[in-house]
Amino acid sequence: MKFLPYSFNISIQSLIRDKWINLLSMVTIAAGLFIISLAFFLAYNIDMATEKLPEKFTMLLYLEDNLQKEYTDNIINSVKKNKAVLSVKYISKEDALKELKSALKNSNYIFEGLEENPLPDALELKLRKDLVGPETAKKISEEVLKIKGVSEVDYGETFLSTIQYIRIGIKTIGIIMAIILSAGIIFVCYSTVKMLYYRRQEEFETFKLLGATRGFIRAPFIFEGAIIGLGGGLLSLFGMYVFYYMVILKFSVTIPFFKMILFPSDLFLVLPFLGMLLGIAGAALALGRLKY
Amino acid sequence: MIHFHNVTKEYENQTALRNITFSVGKGEMVFITGHSGSGKTTLLKLIYLAEKIDKGSISVSGWELEKLAESGIPFLRRNIGIVFQDFKLLANRNVFENVALALRIRGMGEKEIKGKVFEALKTVYLRHKTDSYPKALSGGEQQKVVIARAIVADPTVLLADEPTGNLDPDTASGIIRTFKEINACGTTVLIATHNRELFRNTGRRVIKLDAGNLIGEELG
Ligand SMILES: Nc1ncnc2c1ncn2[C@@H]1O[C@H](COP(=O)(O)OP(=O)(O)OP(=O)(O)O)[C@@H](O)[C@H]1O
Ligand SMILES: [Mg+2]
Repeated sequence: MKFLPYSFNISIQSLIRDKWINLLSMVTIAAGLFIISLAFFLAYNIDMATEKLPEKFTMLLYLEDNLQKEYTDNIINSVKKNKAVLSVKYISKEDALKELKSALKNSNYIFEGLEENPLPDALELKLRKDLVGPETAKKISEEVLKIKGVSEVDYGETFLSTIQYIRIGIKTIGIIMAIILSAGIIFVCYSTVKMLYYRRQEEFETFKLLGATRGFIRAPFIFEGAIIGLGGGLLSLFGMYVFYYMVILKFSVTIPFFKMILFPSDLFLVLPFLGMLLGIAGAALALGRLKY
Repeated sequence: MIHFHNVTKEYENQTALRNITFSVGKGEMVFITGHSGSGKTTLLKLIYLAEKIDKGSISVSGWELEKLAESGIPFLRRNIGIVFQDFKLLANRNVFENVALALRIRGMGEKEIKGKVFEALKTVYLRHKTDSYPKALSGGEQQKVVIARAIVADPTVLLADEPTGNLDPDTASGIIRTFKEINACGTTVLIATHNRELFRNTGRRVIKLDAGNLIGEELG
């Protein structure tokens, strides 16, 4: 490993000697990483926008009329036994009516001539945030309907599944894109290093005859891959910042919607490291197992 | 130092060495001679494992070559200085860098490299060509660079394949004198040549090859 400073020098010389090829692959890598970042940026914002929604999710259990207080407590207790249930709130028909009236303050005439409260007593369930989902809601609704005294269950079925599909879909697309583009980036490094290696292969045969280890021959290329990847990563990071300041911030002055967009600047700091890792991976693959 | 025991080497279409057995002791200087194509280069290549052994066994300063793993090969070669018949100089490096390479692969520091390279170039009388590129050197000068590269790392074994092929008789005997000096310092030297002048009156062992067979030994 004592030869590493020398290897580093050699890789710098090679970077300068073949500056156009290296610059080209650096820009290509930057473009790939930039697209990955954009996809991540989009997925991140959709994720953030939809993350809070499950917290607001509630299920309403309508109870049969004129249940005794003890019986209602019984129902509450058996509902609470379910592990997915976070809280249960009892809403009497009077409370429900009051709430309805305040919501429809300006149309009070609707209630004129109303002699009896038409609303049922109800229980409002909140679910644990991490367990909110169409399957859980469906299971709970099936279970509570079996309890005597519960007449009906109401929850936003389509709302829930739509959110879930969006979230899963965005994540899947994002991950698939990241994998494909990462493979592309590795390939760019792979072919660059492979080409540079083949051009000097004869030289390396002599290196081996003089007693060079695989590491000695490989190290400059690994450095080169790392530097190209790092350069690409830095370029793409720069691109993301330019994109944010020139596009998002500019538009948010005139279009309020843009103000809601989050820019996870800390997360994008991994780009240079990601680029470097992909560059090293490409270089290592290109060299393979050197034969003696 | 070097032991061959019933060594056979076959290329696809012919047997290059057949049942070769001989030993070279530590500190000896031995010649290998024979006609062109008799197997001299092949024999040397087996010692630094540029070719693999088909049958028999070879040991070189304690290394049992037929058992050596690939990862051990670089370290075997670091004990061996080699003057290649086809030079193997790198055209894109100057004389200094060509010689220095043998030390660079060992991870030696820049200062130490400088001292050793200049010393080796002085030994072969090429100190004034340090900055030249191989293309700008005569055949004999190139050969001297190869010799300097072979001795620069103080190997325990020196293999020289036709080391005077491109030299005039005077320079050739100068090179042989250099080999003798290196040998006097304890390095085991093995020289392959078809030039009988090189070993005449040296009093050293001469191993004779013919068409892949070891046909005898004499004193030069
Ligand atoms: N890589 C190879 N593949 C196939 N045959 C080979 C190979 N190398 C050498 N040979 C053959 O093996 C035989 C011995 O070759 P070698 O190079 O050892 O001879 P040599 O004694 O060094 O000859 P010279 O004095 O011309 O250098 C020759 O007939 C040659 O054609
Ligand atoms: Mg030969």
